[in-house]
Amino acid sequence: MIKSTYKKVKRMTTTMRFIHWINFFTIVVAVATGLYIAHPYYQTFIAVSAVHKYVMAWNRWAHFIGAILLDVTFIIIAYLYFFSRFDKPYKKLIPNRANIKEFVEVLLNLVTFNRRKRFDSSQSDSFNTVYFTILHLMLLFMLFTGFQLYVQGLESGISSIGSWWPLLLHMATDWTLYVFGGNMGVRIAHHIGMWWIIVWVLFHIYYQVWRTIFWQEGDIAISFGGSKFAKADSSDA
Amino acid sequence: MEKREFIKRLFTAKDCAVNTNRGKAYYDALYKKCKKQLDKLEAAKPVKNIDLQEELKTNGFSRRTFLKWVSATTAMLMLPPTFEPLVAKAAELMNRLPVIWIELQDCAGNTEAFIRNDGPKIEEILLDIISLEYHETLMVPAGYQAEAQLNNAAKHFKGKYILIVEGSVPTAENGIYGTIGASGETFIEHLTGLSKNAAAIIAVGNCATFGGVPAASPNPTGAKGVMSVIKGKPIINIPACPANPINIVGTILLVVLKGQIPELDSLLRPKWAFGYRIHDNCERRAHFDAGEYVEEWGDNRAKNNFCLYKMGCKGPMTFNNCPIVRYNEAVNWPVGAGHGCIGCSEPEFWDKYAFERPIADANIKAPAGGVESSVDQFGLGILGLAGAGIVTHAAVSAIIGKKSKSKEEEKEGDKDE
Ligand code: SF4
Ligand code: SF4
Repeated sequence: MIKSTYKKVKRMTTTMRFIHWINFFTIVVAVATGLYIAHPYYQTFIAVSAVHKYVMAWNRWAHFIGAILLDVTFIIIAYLYFFSRFDKPYKKLIPNRANIKEFVEVLLNLVTFNRRKRFDSSQSDSFNTVYFTILHLMLLFMLFTGFQLYVQGLESGISSIGSWWPLLLHMATDWTLYVFGGNMGVRIAHHIGMWWIIVWVLFHIYYQVWRTIFWQEGDIAISFGGSKFAKADSSDA
Repeated sequence: MEKREFIKRLFTAKDCAVNTNRGKAYYDALYKKCKKQLDKLEAAKPVKNIDLQEELKTNGFSRRTFLKWVSATTAMLMLPPTFEPLVAKAAELMNRLPVIWIELQDCAGNTEAFIRNDGPKIEEILLDIISLEYHETLMVPAGYQAEAQLNNAAKHFKGKYILIVEGSVPTAENGIYGTIGASGETFIEHLTGLSKNAAAIIAVGNCATFGGVPAASPNPTGAKGVMSVIKGKPIINIPACPANPINIVGTILLVVLKGQIPELDSLLRPKWAFGYRIHDNCERRAHFDAGEYVEEWGDNRAKNNFCLYKMGCKGPMTFNNCPIVRYNEAVNWPVGAGHGCIGCSEPEFWDKYAFERPIADANIKAPAGGVESSVDQFGLGILGLAGAGIVTHAAVSAIIGKKSKSKEEEKEGDKDE
């Protein structure tokens, strides 16, 4: 009888996977609606009066809801980075010798097409942690620039939930006006931010599929089932 | 302590609203203050012997028309109707206000907007009433005489005059791109010299406020707005291309009335005029929300007044009161006439707003300059590069990549060898 030589390694909790897929769908929605807002790319020939179609308004609504979901998950993720009872990703971000070495090794593994593999691939590695952190920072950037664009429509200073809301947004995001050069500069920065996120997603998907194929450890299953399989030590076998 | 005070102030600030109703106590106090200021002005000798009422009569305006204008203006300045007599009085007392109006790197468009009308408007008459001591386009003297008049006025009204500036300041190469008079004084010297003794500076038009068209890329003359050149003086910005005469007159009126600078936003624009976004007061907004856009100049949608967003309307990112007060005696405004807003009241409007495309197709420059592409072309470019990298990596992986083996396979492999 052939003994099992793989052991199951838990990598993502249910909460983490839930957040992962919320992020995935909201990014898809935010991109699809964001592209429409920046340049309405389909025509609305619905033969009813304007009030019924409301196409741009619905697009903007979906964009806002997506954005707010992303902001909520951002806050949860930021919390989990430091206080998770499972894995604390911040530990992989500290630039100590072990982490730098691991980062370089994972990178070498990628550019040598898996001909060199000298790190523990069963656990989350510092290369991927850095890569994920970049996404969260980009989302934070979208949060600040996005809310600046949003508060431009609240110029009355009044909102249905009180005037503290536009005031808070002004205090939190008005600096973007100076950094990116006015209302239009912020808009352009926000739109270019989307393209960088799309590029990020593209490589992320490719890399996880690549790992699955070349490492033969079922990495792609992490985001679905929560675990991957790692080669068991011969002592375990 | 100071920091704590600041934080406290931040969190106890009521709101950022343009407050149009501050309660009876506030307006009563303001009324008294304005009354005192006007009494003081009335006691002063008029600098110019023109009477507003006579002037209005000669131009065919009835008292009733004037009062109508007064009540509209009072409302526009966000003051309650009780202030109407004060506003009327302030208009009459404008002949006590010495004004020096200089032109720098500009096209005189703001002056033109003021004086080119189907007939003289009340605003234009007010321009006659204020004691305009110096105005290159309108004054009779020229050359040395003009210079002498300017120097006299600056000396005589030292510390009291309002300096109105039209046009940008060329700062490149010590300002040699713009000089005035026989002495070859540069615009920078001209401006700094006159602002020293001014009570306040009002920059009118986008050039004087933010650099405007002369500051458009590549900005060969190093054009800048007044606020980037003059520090430590009260400055009011009234941008737009041209500035709406009603916004200029309204602001001067407020200065006369209150004896101080009106409430300004972060770009030093009076909030009563620039606290509104074009897009939120636009008559085409329903079409915007519906997703009904003009696709081509003169198409059927244009004929039906659809939204101009896809033709590059920048109303969603521009703050001004055009849709509310309009131009040419409230006859019409740009979007009403069928062209999108080009954001003429915002900084860098020529480079960032004034094109007939929506934001995704906005042109951006590479940081090093030179290459120009639209935002989406740039985005697709980086996406393409990333895609190409991935395809290459995938292809090479398929050819020379090594799949990891399980321990079992490794052992079997060992046996094979
Ligand atoms: S025409 Fe311009 S300002 Fe008016 S609704 Fe459309 S985008 Fe907004
Ligand atoms: S609609 Fe826009 S471009 Fe036109 S005058 Fe008003 S602010 Fe300027």
